[in-house]
Order: sequence, then C-alpha cells, then structure tokens
Amino acid sequence: MMLRDKRKLLFYVCLVFICGCSGGVKHYSRPHTDVKHIKSIAVLPFENYTTDGYADEKIGSITGIELLSRGIDVTEPGEVGRVLQEMRVSSLKALTPSDIQEIGEALKVDGIMGGSVSVYQISRGISVSYPEVSVYLTLYESATGKVLWSTWHTSGGPGFWTRHFGAEIATLGEVSRNVIKEAFDNLF
Amino acid sequence: MNMMKKCILTLMLFVVVIVSGCRSSAPVYHIREDIDFSYFKKVAVMPLDNLTPERAAADIVRQIVTSELLASGLVDVIVPGEVMTALNDLDIKNISSLNEKQIQAIGKSLQVEGLIIGAVEKYGETRIGNVSAPEATITLMMADTGSGNIVWSMTGTRGGADFMARHFGAKSETMSETVMVLIRGMVQTLKRQ
Repeated sequence: MMLRDKRKLLFYVCLVFICGCSGGVKHYSRPHTDVKHIKSIAVLPFENYTTDGYADEKIGSITGIELLSRGIDVTEPGEVGRVLQEMRVSSLKALTPSDIQEIGEALKVDGIMGGSVSVYQISRGISVSYPEVSVYLTLYESATGKVLWSTWHTSGGPGFWTRHFGAEIATLGEVSRNVIKEAFDNLF
Repeated sequence: MNMMKKCILTLMLFVVVIVSGCRSSAPVYHIREDIDFSYFKKVAVMPLDNLTPERAAADIVRQIVTSELLASGLVDVIVPGEVMTALNDLDIKNISSLNEKQIQAIGKSLQVEGLIIGAVEKYGETRIGNVSAPEATITLMMADTGSGNIVWSMTGTRGGADFMARHFGAKSETMSETVMVLIRGMVQTLKRQ
C-alpha cells in the first residue's frame, strides 16, 4: 500500500515537471512544400536591433556555420555583399519577392536566409544576471521569392541551479549557438 | 486529529492568500461578430507605432507578430518589403492615422484581405521596490481592407515578477519571453473565432 502511494507521488512529481517544460520552437513552414530541395543558401546581413554593434555579424556568422554543419552549401558573405551592392539594395527591410528572386539568381542559390537580432545582452533578473539572445529567421525560396520557413526564437534566462545555487551561467556565445541550433532543429 | 485539522486550515489559508494574489488572465478584446474570419487568407503587418523609449521595440514586436501569425496557420503574411513598396507608391507617411480609403487602397495594392496595425506602449524593465521585471503592453488591430473597418482589436499587457519569483526564486520570464507569450496569447484570440 505504502509502495503504491510512493509511486503515485512520483507520478505527480513527474507530471508537474513535464508541465513546466517548454514545448519546443514555434515556427512556420509553407504548407505542401518540402525544404529538402534547398541545398545552397545565401545568408543576408542581419538587422541589428540590439545595443551591441556587432550582434548581427556574430549571429550571421553562427547561422552560416550551423547551416554548413547541416550539409547546406553557404555562399561567402563577401559575395552576398557584392551582389547587394550591385543591386543597390539600401534597406534589407524593403526586399520584395522579385528582389529575392534576383538575388537568388545572381548568387545561384536555392534559398535566401534573412533575419534580425532582437536581443543580444546580459540581462538583469531578480537576483542574478543572465545572457539573453533572441533572433528572427526567415528562409525564402529563391525561385518564387516566397517565405518557406520562419521562426522567432529566444534563449537564455537563469536556470534553477543558477538562481538557487549560483551555478555557472552559459556565456552569450553559447546561448547564441544554442538559439540558432534550436531554431534550425525543426528545419533541416 | 486536532493536528491534522490545523494543518488543513493552514494549507487552506495559504491557498487563499496565493489565489488572492492572482489576477484573471482572460484576454479582453473586441471582435466583430458579423465577420467570418475564414475570409481573411492573407494579411499585411504594417509598421507599428513605437510609444516607448526603446528604439527598436516596434520593429521587434512587428517581427514577432508576423512570426506568430504565420506559425498559427491562420493566415498568410505578406513580405515586409512589399508593404514598404506599397506605402511609398501610395505616398502614405503617417501609418498611425490611416483612414478608410487608405486602408482600402493598401489592401488593393497588396492584394490582402486584412491589415494588422497597432502600437507598442510599453517595452522594457519595470522596477517595483528592489525588484525589476520585464513588462510589455501592445495594442493590435485588424482592419478589413474591403470595408476599411476595424474587425478585431486588443490591448494586451504582461510582465512583472510574480509571487513565486519574488518570494521563492522561481523562474521569471525574460523580456523576449514576456513579449512572445503576450503576442501568442493575442493571436490565439483570433484562432478562437
């Protein structure tokens, strides 16, 4: 009888923990479209909404490395810059589907990755400071200029052990790699 | 037995105190009841007004709204660059006070059924006593491009450190999580239709 009660208690404890867990990254994937045909991608310069002047370049670089590690061919950033300059693109916010098609054709890539960095900082919580990184990523199909996949994802915040026992906190670089990795886990 | 009763009473008192500190999380919003929302297949998210000192708040919130609308599967969202092109072509400078004709003209130009407009009223850390916590207040509206009327509007606010975070060191949300959960909740009200 006692053993049964203990099992019940264990079950409820597990249930509480599971309920407290997050449900993964929410994302959009264009219906009836397979991203498997995307073998090469050009990563556009990211928009930077943070106070760190280099956050966009850091996240852009991590994005390129993560794509390469997943077997996707990534165009050199210099080549992307040259094409944008030739096309006289002044603002990446104002890219239209025809611009995306044009960039894709010039760089001979299947997809164009754009995005922004919303947060890249050490934030101050109630009792501890912690790294926080938030990114917005969009994958366009070069052939049509349409959005194939998009997500807004955030990572960071102090964990249980950090808040209560002062355990070591991940660095901004580690959180950045984590946020990009988690975002791509539901794409490739 | 007496000890048992005392324990139950203490527990009940504790629960009452916690519940008294809670507030209703039910969102308050307006939605036109005579509108069939399945009609809205494609919408454009317009640049939002930024009423905060945070320089990029409106751009960040606009991207999360776009992402959440797409991820919800309710509607397709037009590429932001097309919105900029349409606004330039129509020579519309002031987005915070669009009139019916302008809403209809933008809808016609972008070939969308709805326009999402709104403002970011609060975006940042709020300090209460010795505790600071993230807080966001956002107003979103959807205008029907056929009639130029507002068919859905909602002001949502979220943030602050809750009871458990203040007293027991439970995890409090980051600024990004606060905004994301707030917008997700607002978009969910459209899903309920």
